[in-house]
Amino acid sequence: MTDIIIAGVGGQGNILLSRVICQLYTNKGFDVKSAENIGMSQRGGSVVSYIRTGENVGPIIPDNMADILIGLEMCEAARNVNKINKDSIVVLNDRFIRFNSLDFKKNQIVKFFELNFPKLRIVSAYDIAVKLDMPKAENIVMLALVCKDGFLPFSKEEILKALEQVLRPKMYEMNKILVENIYEKY
Amino acid sequence: MKKVLMGNEAVAYSLFINGVNVVVGYPGTPSTEVIETLKNFQDDDFYVEWSTNEKVALEIAAGASLAGARAVATMKQVGLNVAADPLLSLSVVGVEGGLIVFVADDPGPHSSQTEQDTRNFARFCNLPVFDPSSPKEAFELIKPAFEISEKYNLPVLYRMTTRVCHSNQSIEFELKREKRRIKGFEKRPDWVILPALSYKKHVELEKKLQDIKKDLSVYNRVEGKGKIGIITGGVSYFYVKEAIKGFEDLFSILKITVAHPLDDEIVLGFVEDKEVLIFIEELDPVLEEEVKLILFENGKLLPVYGKRNGYVPFAGEFDVDKVRNIFYKILSDEKFLVRNTFVDVLQIPKRQAQLCAGCPHRNSFLIVKYAMKGKDVIFTGDIGCYTLGFAKPISTTDTCLCMGASITMAQGLKIADRSKKVISFIGDSTFFHSGITGLVNSYYNRHNITVCILDNLTTGMTGFQPHPGTGKKIYGEEGRKVSIEDIVKGIGVEKILVIDPYSDFTENVNKVREFLKDEELGVIIFRRECANMGSKESYLKINQNCSNCKGCMQITGCPALKEDENGNIFIDSALCNGCGLCKSFCPYSAIEKVMKDD
Repeated sequence: MTDIIIAGVGGQGNILLSRVICQLYTNKGFDVKSAENIGMSQRGGSVVSYIRTGENVGPIIPDNMADILIGLEMCEAARNVNKINKDSIVVLNDRFIRFNSLDFKKNQIVKFFELNFPKLRIVSAYDIAVKLDMPKAENIVMLALVCKDGFLPFSKEEILKALEQVLRPKMYEMNKILVENIYEKY
Repeated sequence: MKKVLMGNEAVAYSLFINGVNVVVGYPGTPSTEVIETLKNFQDDDFYVEWSTNEKVALEIAAGASLAGARAVATMKQVGLNVAADPLLSLSVVGVEGGLIVFVADDPGPHSSQTEQDTRNFARFCNLPVFDPSSPKEAFELIKPAFEISEKYNLPVLYRMTTRVCHSNQSIEFELKREKRRIKGFEKRPDWVILPALSYKKHVELEKKLQDIKKDLSVYNRVEGKGKIGIITGGVSYFYVKEAIKGFEDLFSILKITVAHPLDDEIVLGFVEDKEVLIFIEELDPVLEEEVKLILFENGKLLPVYGKRNGYVPFAGEFDVDKVRNIFYKILSDEKFLVRNTFVDVLQIPKRQAQLCAGCPHRNSFLIVKYAMKGKDVIFTGDIGCYTLGFAKPISTTDTCLCMGASITMAQGLKIADRSKKVISFIGDSTFFHSGITGLVNSYYNRHNITVCILDNLTTGMTGFQPHPGTGKKIYGEEGRKVSIEDIVKGIGVEKILVIDPYSDFTENVNKVREFLKDEELGVIIFRRECANMGSKESYLKINQNCSNCKGCMQITGCPALKEDENGNIFIDSALCNGCGLCKSFCPYSAIEKVMKDD
């Protein structure tokens, strides 16, 4: 059983990423459950997705139990650390989206993660997405990086298949090139 | 085929497979995706629409059902309040073709004004209610829901909660539609509700419920043999399953899928050898109260823990950890104590919900606010994206109650607090939903308020559904367009102003100030397409004149205006759509427009 939590802010493609990962596990024969919070103007607000592959489980991951935290944004990743433990894998997008009442600095958050999680990997998904001219695709960049580095057990071909199942044709073509690029260059 | 489906999608697929003919509803989180999914299906005996409100939707579904069609009305829990009138009568009148009232409850609540529990509505209306625990179960129970409705000629409530509606699960199914013959409307005196008939039918209804109990009891089930009995339903069932993992022998579970009417037999069988009963259910103590009645009537007494004696919270949604904590409190057993791994966690403050970058409502609110600067004004608000008009720095919403109430509450405020100017804000979709009658009242009774209709040409909050003002129907095909101006004029209101909130800010402020000078009833229509729908032709950027005073940010609160690590202000070009509002507040001419080439 694998429990994955994805934390980010609205507009980063969190829910789509969750959908694609669900499809990946389903294609591998798992029974997948996931939950996401959507609704009242989540644009720019906190968005969390839970993905679970166990049977007889509810949609929400209990405290300390997530195996992997995918942080699309640093503050949101830090907000959800109660869901993970010291052995959890943390893949953190090097992205810091400030908001008015925040008085943390980016390096404070990085330090916190470095101190608490031996299995930490920080990637520059947003920078890569911008470089590849798809600033809204940091979610798929994250997915490709996470799989390429072996944190999730899916091959490039499996990713492309799931994307094709989930995305509209035009979006699929764009994301296909993106994934190919990441496997080649990053 | 095996597919990952969201709970609401699962319901939609199952409805289609089970031969539903008519599906109507009004969008509302977390119910919206049922219709959003169904609009992707087509068949010659299948019809789907967005209606102007939930009462309209349920009455259309009722009509279709009387003609023998399988019909569904979808709504969120507060929408059911709007549809309560037809529903309560319908439980007495009865139906012909299977009729399901799909209602999404929102424990938490995540995106609602109330946490109300539709299972209580089922008790109130004397109707059966299904309460699925997962998308898979939601898929499976549609068929029996239709069958029960048709067997007993009663509407059936299909209640789900956010964590079932909006969770996803892999579901195996065959997309093959059951074809039924719709027999057409037959005239019968039963369909005309009159007091004498109503009494007779009420007697029948009570009898029917006794029979339905037995039929529905098969959907409730007992698991395990432990002496600690847990009675649960909905998504809480899975929280319980996880919370007792490893200690299953101590417990047994009575999973209630049909919360009303509840059969005595299964309850009495379950409690027979129990030492203690624990009720784990979100929102109201429906199972707790029903079961306690059964126990009392049958002379059974045993220790019971639930909401009524304070062991289980009434408010908010549950999760595994909360359920464990409840067990820990009741059983004083350390193994249920939840311990957090990290002692020193960063306390990240909450991200406040806010209007989107370039949202025309932000401009409209600020235009009115500046036009009324220094005056004593009450701003009443309504349900939609623009409820966020209350948030800082806009702060132009002093009340929000329910759909349409901005216009009517404004009238009450005006009656009781004469000295103040009262200005109400309402969205286009909400105006059609339940604003019109309020405006009629205001005109008729001479309540001199100002109504600002924030027309963004869509139902923004729930994901851009069309409405009468757009003239487009659910598939994007042509309906007929209803003009807000013509409605307002048709009522008799003479003072009308139409404003493009993106056009020159100062000019708009002057126009509105002039408009608001006297005390007459007036309507201002602010019209500009939702920022998430139009294509972006330009964006703004900050040039070297910027003194970093942050006025633009502090006045507008636009999320495209951001501070970098060093506290310098910049505009996120990916978010900005060039509305130019911030530019109006820059004293240094430091914000300039950049046109997008393609």
